[in-house]
Amino acid sequence: MTPGLASLALLAEFPFESVYVRSIIFVSLYVSIIAVVLSTLVSVPIALVVGFTDIPGKRFIKSVINTGMGFPSVVVGLLVLFAVSNQGPLGPLELVFTKEAMIMSQFVLATPAITAVSLAAVTSVEENVRDAARSLGGTRLDVALVVIKEARYGIATAILAGFGRAISEVGSVLIVGGNIAGSEGVSKTRTLTTAIQLEARQGRYETAMVLGGVLVAIVLLVNAIVVRLGDDKVMG
Amino acid sequence: MLRADSVSLAYGDETVVDDLTLSVDSGEVVAVIGPSGVGKTTLLRLLSLSLEPDSGRVTFDDTDVWAVDEDERLALRRRVGMVFQEASLFDASVARNVEYGLRIRRQWRERFREQLRSVVRLNGTADAVEDALEVVGMTEKIDQDARSLSGGEAQRVSFARALAYDPDVLLLDEPTSDLDPRNTAVIESAIETARNSGIGVVVATHDMNQAERIADRVAVLLDSDLTEVGPAKAVFESPEDERTRKFISGELVY
Repeated sequence: MTPGLASLALLAEFPFESVYVRSIIFVSLYVSIIAVVLSTLVSVPIALVVGFTDIPGKRFIKSVINTGMGFPSVVVGLLVLFAVSNQGPLGPLELVFTKEAMIMSQFVLATPAITAVSLAAVTSVEENVRDAARSLGGTRLDVALVVIKEARYGIATAILAGFGRAISEVGSVLIVGGNIAGSEGVSKTRTLTTAIQLEARQGRYETAMVLGGVLVAIVLLVNAIVVRLGDDKVMG
Repeated sequence: MLRADSVSLAYGDETVVDDLTLSVDSGEVVAVIGPSGVGKTTLLRLLSLSLEPDSGRVTFDDTDVWAVDEDERLALRRRVGMVFQEASLFDASVARNVEYGLRIRRQWRERFREQLRSVVRLNGTADAVEDALEVVGMTEKIDQDARSLSGGEAQRVSFARALAYDPDVLLLDEPTSDLDPRNTAVIESAIETARNSGIGVVVATHDMNQAERIADRVAVLLDSDLTEVGPAKAVFESPEDERTRKFISGELVY
């Protein structure tokens, strides 16, 4: 048998491969997308406030953002696990090994990255554009909306970069999610990354490769969008 | 109508505007002349109600602007239009730029509905937008991307943008200093049109010839202080203040 046929045969042997892979993709996308949406809702206002107001502790916030970008994801996972464990402050919510807990850790990981890139984008909006919005009768909110609009490509890049970080992250989702799949082969908290890790360890390299291919395709697609946004104004 | 009364303003230790009084009425053009960096922009910002003076009062139709609450001040601020030396257009079409002042004056619900309509491309352009663009001869470029315009065209659109919502006062900060003679002429004729429709115009310029061409009154700003305010002819032909005379004759170089 040729190697190609061998891998096909192995894939076919795998009992619930199609449901399994699909549910894993779903969990990965679900967790990453929700986390990034929530993250964006927090990050963009923070970027606007830090960028354009003279609040006390601005430097401190900036250093927290920068530190957060390089924060080890396993440690984030550990902290979130402590928070949601029985003895933790969020214990009563019973979130251990749930998608919600995974969303929380992804949120913590994505927020600094999205905030930092958004901050760079909004502060690059020229002051005279803000002055113009204000001089034409804009309120503070109107001016903020103009800034968001002017920085839309940069903010979109920030969001996609945050998504890229979230979906390819393995350490924290493994700790807080537990990499659980049900007996029918339907993923509960198993993501592409944690599944690859497991499949590879158990020697099911073909399944690991398929999942790896899907993950790479998603990341490449996101990167392609980021590059295009950087190149020209496709969202015009 | 709009009046700065003995206003002073300092940035840190540096006094930029010192005990200065200037007013503008409807249908008149006041030119503020003086060398660069003398505080013309700061004076315009005070008049645009976006900067609060350290001392003195700014009044709009006898209302003390900084004594009323923020909502009322916003309402007053929205009767003022401003054009900067740089066009500073938004990254959108010419129509969307000129429409901006009108759009933000609407209720949020209306603005949201309009946004939806523009997504399905059903919205027409408001007459006020076309009228304003007509004043500066830019109606043909209404659908163009604002960032693709030349400097002169951008400045003309920027003028139309401030004109579209029909302000009572128009403040122009060196509006033609980066422009070629043809675009300068267009802006000057637009100033004339604005004046004829009853708008009070304050234009800061370092171009004395321009001040003489377009202004009813001229205010000479030297060393943070107005050395002379009066009818254009009188100021240029027979200035009373010695510094003004030297500045106009070119003896006083900054």
